[in-house]
Amino acid sequence: MRTRSLAKWLFLPLLFIASAAIAQSSIPIELEVGYRFADIKGNESLYRTQINEREGFVLRSFTFFTSGLGPSDEFRVDATDLGTSPTSSLRVMSARNGAYRLRLGYRSFDSFNATPAFAQHAFDRKRTMFDADLELLTFSRFTPFVGYSWSRNRGPGAMTYVLGADEFALRSDLDESDREIRVGSAFTLGKFSGQVTQGWRSLKSDERFALFEGAGAGNNAGAILGRPISADAIDRVSRTDVDAPFTNLYVMGDILPRVRVIGDYVRFSAESTGFENESSSGSFVSFGIGRFFNGLSEITASRAENNTWRGGVRAEVVITDTITFQAGYRSEHRELEGAGLINSLYRDTLTFGGLDPRSVEEVLQSTSVLNRDEDILSATVSARSVGPFSFRAGYSVANQDLEIAPDLSEIVVPGNQDGTFSRSVRTVDASATFTKRLFSIGASWRIDDADDPVMRTDFLERDRLRVRATFRTPGNAFRIGLTAEEGNQSNDRDGVNFDAGNRQLITDFEIAPVAAVRFHGSYAQFRADSVVTVRRPETFVLVPSTYTEEGESYEGGIGLVLTKVNVDASVARFDNEGSFPFTVNRYRVRAGYDFTEKMGIVGELAKDQYDETSAFGDFDARRFGLYLRLRR
Amino acid sequence: MSTKHLTIAVAALLLLLGAAAWAQEEATARCGDCHDQAKAFAHNPHARGQVVKGDVENAVCESCHGDATEHMQTGDKEKISVPRGRKGADETCAMCHDLTSDKRSHKMGFHASSDAVNCLSCHSVHKSEQEPLLAKNQLALCSTCHTQAASFRNRPYTHKMGRAGMTCSTCHEPHGRPGKENLKATAAGEVVCVGCHTDKRGPYVFAHGGAAVGECTNCHEAHGSSNQRQLKRANVAQLCLECHSPTATHTLGSQPPSFHNVTTARYQNCTTCHVAIHGSHRSPQLLK
Repeated sequence: MRTRSLAKWLFLPLLFIASAAIAQSSIPIELEVGYRFADIKGNESLYRTQINEREGFVLRSFTFFTSGLGPSDEFRVDATDLGTSPTSSLRVMSARNGAYRLRLGYRSFDSFNATPAFAQHAFDRKRTMFDADLELLTFSRFTPFVGYSWSRNRGPGAMTYVLGADEFALRSDLDESDREIRVGSAFTLGKFSGQVTQGWRSLKSDERFALFEGAGAGNNAGAILGRPISADAIDRVSRTDVDAPFTNLYVMGDILPRVRVIGDYVRFSAESTGFENESSSGSFVSFGIGRFFNGLSEITASRAENNTWRGGVRAEVVITDTITFQAGYRSEHRELEGAGLINSLYRDTLTFGGLDPRSVEEVLQSTSVLNRDEDILSATVSARSVGPFSFRAGYSVANQDLEIAPDLSEIVVPGNQDGTFSRSVRTVDASATFTKRLFSIGASWRIDDADDPVMRTDFLERDRLRVRATFRTPGNAFRIGLTAEEGNQSNDRDGVNFDAGNRQLITDFEIAPVAAVRFHGSYAQFRADSVVTVRRPETFVLVPSTYTEEGESYEGGIGLVLTKVNVDASVARFDNEGSFPFTVNRYRVRAGYDFTEKMGIVGELAKDQYDETSAFGDFDARRFGLYLRLRR
Repeated sequence: MSTKHLTIAVAALLLLLGAAAWAQEEATARCGDCHDQAKAFAHNPHARGQVVKGDVENAVCESCHGDATEHMQTGDKEKISVPRGRKGADETCAMCHDLTSDKRSHKMGFHASSDAVNCLSCHSVHKSEQEPLLAKNQLALCSTCHTQAASFRNRPYTHKMGRAGMTCSTCHEPHGRPGKENLKATAAGEVVCVGCHTDKRGPYVFAHGGAAVGECTNCHEAHGSSNQRQLKRANVAQLCLECHSPTATHTLGSQPPSFHNVTTARYQNCTTCHVAIHGSHRSPQLLK
């Protein structure tokens, strides 16, 4: 069965079961099903990229829970947005205390992307995920479990490919699935408890590419060295297989009445093999071999490994009822190794002078190695509920060492990629909270200090301060909050001069004058600036690269719950006047009316307006859904 | 006494004892007689199967509220324990939930830090329509304090929060500690992002350095972005050049860039050509 239709396939049986259950049982159940209408004006591709709610039948929500069904003493089914929806989910949970717990999950996500900045790059795919987890002998000394996860990503896409000094639009068809099986057991043995998991994960990916019809002229209209560049055909098949066994273990021991020690270890070993076969024909030029050519046959075989382990130990000490101390050490080691053999046969070549006709074969063998080690030492002391105060202070040191051999990726000019990099980051953080009856104020502060950057935008100094105060009246009839946050980071090395900062000020409130009515709202001001020196690749001149976001966000709404009527309405606006100005307006209304105790009707109105300074991406999308609500 | 008479006598005795027990049970007061929460508790995971005629056994309530005998006899509200605040949560919730199948020691988590924030700040123990017994919808709940994350969600490019089960706790461990320990990991211990974005796991022969040694958030805004594909910059070339620029400080990826003229539209989006930006098995330049 195609996974694309699975959500729709689940729609009708669930509807049938729900209707029968509502008619016959006294088990709590709630169902909303109906039709959603959509009216999209403007850039539909951008609407689909951002929101993607389309017109059609939707099982908006379904909930069924009972304390006893068959062998279970807890049984629950939850479903949302099955049918014509960009996201769908279905979860089933069945458990019997001391015997078992079974969890089944299904999720699907539309993965659509076609945005102006990525012009010829688009995809319309669907990711479907299924999980099953069974625990046996729950709450016993040993709780064995087995789990299975499956994820599939498939669908068409479009991209460009650089070949023979031009770029060509290709269509792609991806079918990729990832499976994971895990078995293990949780255990409690005296003062020790923990869990051990052994898992096996595998991925199979198959992607086929072909030249779009009419795209043979390429994106570059001009001739190269007097020769027009064109493609008659480009076909490529890529296959990738990944196998990754992993082991995950943790043990927690209350070794003394006030001392707990927790150790954990995880190791995985992923190995991928890739195979690709490409053939193309047309009129091309290659400066790499210094020739014109009429076709390329390329076969690539590759293998890569990722061996990673991570382990840590942590001690938690309860000094007094309110004061605790934690200290921990964590270490991680990762090795990435890759090797590829690329065999390229340039057919019917000529020198740029039109001489020496022959086919040219080129073999490229490439390897890459990356070793990364990291260890972190940390300590924290907390004082909780010392009168109206709570405090927390922590210190940590993280050391990273990287060793990279050439060919990791040479996205720019090959070479100079290798080297060794080290970085040590020291962090101090502290927080305090004061709570007195209905008022609370808390502040957290963090400062990081590093000796060297690994990447240009790594900070050498960073700090962040956040303060939040709230006040509420008894019974939560009124609540107001204020959050202020500021963060800065910098790297003042010559030629980098990285400096970034962000500030946010947010206030939010809730008013519930009576239990049936609730108003809420928030207002936020934000500003983020970043500047870092970059070298222009066309001139090699150093210039500052600046980026700014600045604006306001408003949100407000009302909730009304009466015996037969319920309304939830909200308005939100987001204005950004930074480097990329735009405005988003969102309106939501959801209103329900119950004809009887068991049956009602729900209407949903959603409107999203997206406006950029360039009107190219603007859209105005309205959706209206009408749903029948059944419940018992 | 014949066997028949003995059987009748034993049966009568059993009936008598049964009736007495029945009468005794009928006479036993239940928490649900006065407290509606106790009835609602029948559909609560904490009921753990101890449901009789739609009502939970008193022992279920007493597991958190302590011995209720005196309270039942006198009706005095002072004669029953009502857990409140951080201390209340420690003495009830953490008695069981600090030892569950979880690497986190909940009591030490940042969200169990004070009277202002503790288990009962987020969980509605007696009745909730939100799993796992949350006081309200998780997005609304987290947004009550984490207002800055909520304002990010108003941006145009975000994860589809609140849909298909995707919530804050899909990625974050609310019982964890600040920093990286606040993020979940896959069963194999990898960064949480690749739990859904399985195609980005690799391993690749030609890994993008930033992805291999750093984090997805080097280039992407996880909570929501103003820019397409949740990137940190509106212009892709700007994002790339901020790392891929050679200067006196030798950093990863800061080798000399190609001679592309990024003032032209064609070269302003590096991933037009470098399509396999997360890593490639076939192209050192990440072209396919």
